[in-house]
Amino acid sequence: MTTNTPPVDVQVASPASPREDYLNCSKGIMSWLGTLDHKRIGIMYLIGVGLAFLSGGAFALLVRLHLWEPEGMLFSNQTYNQIFTLHGAFMVFLFVIPAIPGSLGNMVLPLMVGAKDVALPRLNLLSFYLWLTGAVLAALAIILGGFDTGWTFYAPYSLYTNQAVVTIGLAIFVLGFSSIFTGLNFIVTVHKLRAPGMTWFRLPLFVWALYATSLLQVLATPVLGITVLLVAFERLYHIGIFDPRLGGDPVLFEHFFWFYSHPAVYIMVLPAFGIISELVTVHSRKPLFGYKLIAFSSLAIAIISFLVWGHHMFTSGQSTYAMFAFSFLTFFVAIPTAIKEFSWVATVWRGSVALNSPMLYTLAFLIIFAIGGLTGVILGALNVDLHLHDTYFVVAHFHYVMMGSIALAFFAGLHHWWPKMFGKMYNETLAKIAAVTIFVGFNATFLPQFIMGSRGMPRRYATYVPEYAPYHQASTIGAMILGSGVALMVVYLVASLFTGKKAKENQWGGVTLDWKCPTPPPHLNFDDEPKVIHEVYDYSTLDYESLQRDAT
Amino acid sequence: MSHDDHHAVTIPAPGPEFVPHEVAHHFSTPVQEFQAGKLGFWLFLATEILLFGGLFAAYFYYHEMYPETFVLGGKQLDWKLGALNTSVLLLSSWTMAMGVRSAQTSQKKKTLTYLGLTVLGAVIFMCIKYIEYSAKNEHGLIEFGHLFDPYNEGTGQLAWFTDHDGVMASVPHGHMFFAIYLTMTGIHGLHVVIGAGLIIWIMVGTAKGRFHAGYYMPVDLVGLYWHLVDLIWIFLFPLLYLVP
Amino acid sequence: MSDAHDTHGELDMGHHHVSSSAMFSSVLVALLFLTFITVAVAQFDFGSANMLIAMGIAAVKASLVIAFFMHVKWDTAINKIVFLSSFLFLSLLFVFTLADLFTRRLDNEMHITRSPVDKGWVHPSTIEGGH
Repeated sequence: MTTNTPPVDVQVASPASPREDYLNCSKGIMSWLGTLDHKRIGIMYLIGVGLAFLSGGAFALLVRLHLWEPEGMLFSNQTYNQIFTLHGAFMVFLFVIPAIPGSLGNMVLPLMVGAKDVALPRLNLLSFYLWLTGAVLAALAIILGGFDTGWTFYAPYSLYTNQAVVTIGLAIFVLGFSSIFTGLNFIVTVHKLRAPGMTWFRLPLFVWALYATSLLQVLATPVLGITVLLVAFERLYHIGIFDPRLGGDPVLFEHFFWFYSHPAVYIMVLPAFGIISELVTVHSRKPLFGYKLIAFSSLAIAIISFLVWGHHMFTSGQSTYAMFAFSFLTFFVAIPTAIKEFSWVATVWRGSVALNSPMLYTLAFLIIFAIGGLTGVILGALNVDLHLHDTYFVVAHFHYVMMGSIALAFFAGLHHWWPKMFGKMYNETLAKIAAVTIFVGFNATFLPQFIMGSRGMPRRYATYVPEYAPYHQASTIGAMILGSGVALMVVYLVASLFTGKKAKENQWGGVTLDWKCPTPPPHLNFDDEPKVIHEVYDYSTLDYESLQRDAT
Repeated sequence: MSHDDHHAVTIPAPGPEFVPHEVAHHFSTPVQEFQAGKLGFWLFLATEILLFGGLFAAYFYYHEMYPETFVLGGKQLDWKLGALNTSVLLLSSWTMAMGVRSAQTSQKKKTLTYLGLTVLGAVIFMCIKYIEYSAKNEHGLIEFGHLFDPYNEGTGQLAWFTDHDGVMASVPHGHMFFAIYLTMTGIHGLHVVIGAGLIIWIMVGTAKGRFHAGYYMPVDLVGLYWHLVDLIWIFLFPLLYLVP
Repeated sequence: MSDAHDTHGELDMGHHHVSSSAMFSSVLVALLFLTFITVAVAQFDFGSANMLIAMGIAAVKASLVIAFFMHVKWDTAINKIVFLSSFLFLSLLFVFTLADLFTRRLDNEMHITRSPVDKGWVHPSTIEGGH
C-alpha cells in the first residue's frame, strides 16, 4: 500500500447513525424545487431528461412501426410527418443537448474540481427551470396541433405550414438559454473554483470535455436563438428575411441554423467523449493514454466545429466554392476525434479490464462510434454526399453517433456514477443483459438503414417502394429489441432506488476527487477543502479499503 | 481553510449609511466571488454579441443582395434624430461609468444621481425612437396597426408596408430595409428598456446602502450591460442611417 | 478614493482599479467627436469604401467604450479573451455566409449548373415545366 496518502481522505462517519448526505439533509418538496445544490439539480435534470428520452423513444417506435409496411401501417402522411418531427425535436432539444451536462455534469463537475458547488448556483437552478419551461412549451406545441417541418424546420416550408411552429420555436429559444446558462456556469466554475493544487492538467477529462462543450454552448447557441426569433417574426409579421415570396433567401436560414446546429452536435458528443475517457481509465485501472492529447483534442474539436456547417447544405444551393471549402474543412474534424478513439483503445489495451455494466456500454461505444464517426467522414466528401444527402445513410450515421454513441455513453455514465449518486447498487446481472440487448437491438435497427440509404431510400418519407421492405422490417424488429433493452434498464435502475443493495464507498476504484468524497456526498461535497498533490489518474493513490467498505 | 454553513465571510460596511455584504458560502474569498461574477457576466455579454451579430449578418447579406433598396431606405430615416440618439446614449454611458465609479468610492448620493441620469438618458432615447417610429407609421413604411396582418398571397402586398408616398416604389422589395430596421432597432429598444429596469433595481439597492467599495459588483455588472446597449447602437446608427 | 482592504486570507478583496473622472470625461469627448466625424464623412461618397469607413470609425468608438467605460484595459486576461472570442466567432458567421453569397455570382458567370437537363442527362420533355 502506498505511503503517499492524500491529505483529504474519505470521511469515515460513525456507523451508528445514518450519515447526513445531500439526499436526506433536508426534506420536503420545496427543499428540492428551491434547492441550490448542484447535486439535487442534477437529479431533477435526470428525471426530466429521462422522461424526455422515453417520450422521444416512444415517437421513434411509432415511426418504426408505421414503416413496417410500404404503404405505411399506422398514420396518414401528414401525421407521420408530425411524428418524426416530434421524435427529432424532443430528442435533440430536450434530451441529447441538455442531458449529460445537466444531469451527470451538474452532479459530478463540482466534485471533480474540488468545489462546494458550481460558481453560480441560482443560475444553475434557473437553467433547470428554463429546461422545464421549454419542455412544457414543447408539450403545448403538440396540443396546439404539432409541427411537421422536421426538427430542422427549414424555410420556406416552416414559414407557410399551418402548424404550431412559433410555439415550438419559443420552446427552443427558452431551451437555448437553459443550455447557455449551464455552459456559462461550468466555464466560471472551472476557471474560478478549482481546489488548491488542481492545475488545468490535473483536471479529469470529463471536466475538459464539459469545458469544451460549455464554450460551444455559449458561443453557438445565441445564433440559434436569433434564428428561431427571425422565423417567428417571419411567420408573425412577414419581415421577408427567409421568405422567397418577399425577397428573402431560404439558404440564409440554413446558414444561420447550421452555424449553431453543427457545433450543437459537438455539444452533444463532447460530454459523451468525456464520460468514455473517465470510464476507460477507471475500468481498466490504468492511467489514460494521451491525457494531454485528449484534453487538447476536445478544444480542437470545439474550434473546428465552427468551420464546417455547410456540409449539411451541399444540395441546398450554396456556391460551389463554399461547398469545396466546407467539405475540405470537414475532414479536419476527424483528426482530433480519431486521436481520442485511438487513445481510449490504447488505454484499455493491457489494462486490468473489469467487464462490468459501465464497461460493457463503454466497449460498445468504442465499436459503434468508430462506425458512426467514419460514416460521418464519408458524408463529408462533397461528391458522395450529393448522392447520400437526405437518404437513410444520413439517418443511420447520426443515429450511430447520437443513439449508439451519446446515449450509450450517457447510460454508461449513469451506471458508473449511480452508486455515487444514490449510495445504492442496481442489479448487475440485469444490467449486463440490458447492455447486450441494447447493443444488439441498436445495430439491428440501424445497420440496415446504412444499406438501404446507399441504395436510395430517402429519409422523412411516410411510404416507400416495396424493394426496401426487408430493410425497414429488419430495422423495426431491431427497434423493438432496443426498446425492450431500454425498458429493462429503466426498471432495474428505478427498482434499485428502493430495493438496491448498499453500494461501496468507492464502487469501481476511481482516484479522481469525485470518488474521494463520501458516498453519497454531503451537502457541501467536502468537509475540508481538498488539496490536490498528485496527478489525476495516479492509481498508486487508490485506497483499496474504500473498495470494500460499504457506503454510509 | 475550512468552511461550514455557519461561518461566512463578511465584508464590513465602510460607513453607517451602508450595510455589510456576506459572501456566498461556496466561495472562499470576496475576490473569488467578484471574479466569478464578472467572468460569468462577460460570458453572458458574449452571447448578446452573438445574438445581435446574427442580425448584423442578415443586414450585410441583404445589403449585398439589394443595395439600392438599402440606400433608398436609409434616406427615409432622419439622420439628425439618429445622431441625437447616439449622443444621448454616449452621454448615458458616461453617466453610467461615473455611477459605477461613485459606487466604487462609496459615494452613495453621487451614485444615485449618476444612475438616475442614465435612466433619464434611456427615457429620452425611447422618446426619440417613438417619434421616429410614428413618422414611419405616417408614411406607411411601417404601419404598426397592421404589423401582424396576414400576408396577402394573391396581391403580394404586405399590410404593414403600404408606402403610400411611393418612396420605395423604384427599388425591389422596398419593405426589406424597414423590416430589418424595425427588427434591429426594436430588439435594441427592448434591451434599452431592460437596461433601464436593471438600473432602477440597482438604484433601489444603492439607496439601501448595499453597494460600496467593498462590494459594488452588481453596479459594475449592470454598467457593463448598459455599455453593451450603447455599443450595439454605435454600430446600428451608421449602418442604418448613414451608409448611403 | 478607497481601495482594496486586506489582501491576505479570507477577506482578500483583490485590487480594484478606479478610473479617474478626468479619464471618463476625455473618453466621452472623444466619442462625441468621433460621432461628429461619422456624420461628416457620410456626406461624401467613397463608393464601396463607404461601409468600410463607417464601420472603421464605429470600431474605434467601440474600442473606447470597451477599453475604458467597460474597464477591459485593466481587466483579467480571461475576460478580455471572452469578449474578443465572441467577435472572432461572429466573424466566422459573417465570412462564410457572405463568401457563399459573393461566390454565387462566380458560379453564374462560369455557367456552373447542377441542372440534370443542362448536363444532358435528362430530356426536358420528360420533366413537367421543361426544367
